[in-house]
Amino acid sequence: MATREAGKKMIMLKSPDGMEFEVEEAVAMESQTIRKMIEDDCADTAILIPNINSKILSRVIEYCNKHVPTTGATGAAASDTVAPAALAEDLKIWDAEFIKVNRATRFDLIQAASYLNIKGLLDLTSQTTIDTISDNSLEEIRSFLSTKNDYLPEEEQTIRRENQWAFQ
Amino acid sequence: MRLMSRKRHRQRRRRRTPHDGLIASFCKKKCSLRQQDDYSQSGARPRPGLDLPEDIYRHIHALMPLREAARAACVSHTFLQSWRCCRNLTLSKETLGLNGNGIDKDEMARDLISKVDGILKNHSGVGMKKLELNLYCCRKVDHCYLNSWLPIAFRAGIEELTMLLSLISEAEYNFPCSLLFSGSEKSIRYLKLSSCVFRPTAELDCWRRLKELWLTNVLITDDELECLLSDSSMLELLWLFRCNEIVRVKIPCQLQRLSFLRAGQCRKLQEIESNAPNISTFDIGGSNLVKISFGGALQVKNMTIMCSYQPNVIWYTRTKLMPSVLNVETLHISSCNEMISTPTLPSKFLHLKYLHITLNGNEAISPAYDYLSLVSFLVASPCLETFIFVVQQTDMKHDSIVGDISHLRQLPEHCHDNLKSVTMVGFCSAKSMVELTLHIIKNTSSLQCLTLDTSFGSYGCSVDKPGGCNPMRRDIIKEAHRALLAIRTHVEGIIPSRVMLNVSGPCSRCHVVERD
Repeated sequence: MATREAGKKMIMLKSPDGMEFEVEEAVAMESQTIRKMIEDDCADTAILIPNINSKILSRVIEYCNKHVPTTGATGAAASDTVAPAALAEDLKIWDAEFIKVNRATRFDLIQAASYLNIKGLLDLTSQTTIDTISDNSLEEIRSFLSTKNDYLPEEEQTIRRENQWAFQ
Repeated sequence: MRLMSRKRHRQRRRRRTPHDGLIASFCKKKCSLRQQDDYSQSGARPRPGLDLPEDIYRHIHALMPLREAARAACVSHTFLQSWRCCRNLTLSKETLGLNGNGIDKDEMARDLISKVDGILKNHSGVGMKKLELNLYCCRKVDHCYLNSWLPIAFRAGIEELTMLLSLISEAEYNFPCSLLFSGSEKSIRYLKLSSCVFRPTAELDCWRRLKELWLTNVLITDDELECLLSDSSMLELLWLFRCNEIVRVKIPCQLQRLSFLRAGQCRKLQEIESNAPNISTFDIGGSNLVKISFGGALQVKNMTIMCSYQPNVIWYTRTKLMPSVLNVETLHISSCNEMISTPTLPSKFLHLKYLHITLNGNEAISPAYDYLSLVSFLVASPCLETFIFVVQQTDMKHDSIVGDISHLRQLPEHCHDNLKSVTMVGFCSAKSMVELTLHIIKNTSSLQCLTLDTSFGSYGCSVDKPGGCNPMRRDIIKEAHRALLAIRTHVEGIIPSRVMLNVSGPCSRCHVVERD
């Protein structure tokens, strides 16, 4: 199946726009979707990742690369000498930088994280979205999320009355 | 900008054709992921007008704090549906934004109950997995509210339930155990209750998934608890606090996963018999010592034994209890007094790294207690790294070293190879305490830090503290000065340069007395 490089098993990921990314298996398995494919022996030579273009896929791989546990041979930034708390702090700072993207890219990342089942990335992107819309008016939230007010006026009145406490 | 962004999204959505999906040609066998992950078949494709699939909106909604989530319910039907099926509900005055400043407590309680009532009655009863009802601040909650809220949670197949009622009121509410076995799922995994009557039965094995049980100020009898435990083979944590009907706790050996056991302030508790083999944290506290017996091999790593009105707990722990917990790594012992010195025994604690002993007396510590006998713990614990000894007493009745010219005792030399940090709070001029200190200094080549605080545990002395320190009795201040003199005379001269010695005493501003 996939190639081997310095003892590490590699996996080829292909985006629908034809780009190929060779990544360590451990990095790819940060995605539970891909992990399941590999474990079910469904990943022969390359895995096509539908729906996710190369620009977003490369960002997702960047995230997984940073977040893959650094024990054993899978080398990354951390070493054994770094305390777990310092490592977590470093990751938090890195995440904050990583997610400084425009709205469209963030939404693409949310969908990619959901599709590939990468919980950390899904929570990061979702939480950033929540932070953005918190304290906004309903209209602003609708506008940011591109969602329409599909309530009838009387329905909206009822539901607002029910949750009035949250607006106080 | 915004229009361009939308256009891009429309283009992207158009590109997602039904051919998308994890490509089949790479699969040797049927790959179940292909279909379920394909937007075109899962129905998760964004609806027209939405930039994200509905399940992602729901995920975002589920992560919102309660107030934000309730507000977002007014955004659209998608969010309202998500709110009606909210998975985790933490309902407290904090999450509901009732800070209570300047509001009458009873009025706030009524407000809290009415808001909780509104949220739960409007919940669809579907999808709720975790409910926390924090009603500590309500002196009284009408039982009919609780009786109407809990069935909503259980109908939904709740997994984690927390119901905290006021600790100042008597436990009166009868927790409706019948709800637990009325559903088909037997789903409860986490149950935390306070101030209620809890009469569980083992009926229809409704406890088989229970992992954590927290009971505070709960009325439950020995038999009822035993019955529940015998059916809770997945139990990992048991917390019993102020459960005043319990006399005897018997933990059956079937509880292979039980790792945390705490029993505190259970007024009538007399005995704990633990046969669970994998308890790693064992924490017992209360007025008086209870009889503790362990069955089988033990993995206890963290042990706390605290008694506020029972003397000789150190002696009991060292002689009776510790031989059963040879793997202990951290040990806290608190006793109100000791009349019997700690004996030196052959058993060793090869894993003990942290030892914290408190003598917390409402009187003087008995002069019959020889502080030097604590070396027993140090000799038995070759890996000990931290030793903290706190003495709080209202008077010092031990023979003082000040003015005593008799010989200082020395125990046989012993190498405490790993001890790095020693802290003694309430350091006094008792001769045996000075002897203990000198023994540690002379026999601990690894020692890095020695802290001697002579302020009798009267924490917070600081010349910077506005309003001054807590008052200290004149004789106590005098004893503290004697302790400082003992340190200057006997300790400072023999401290090796590698050891950092920290000495603190009564504050120089508030606690000044003329010297004798």
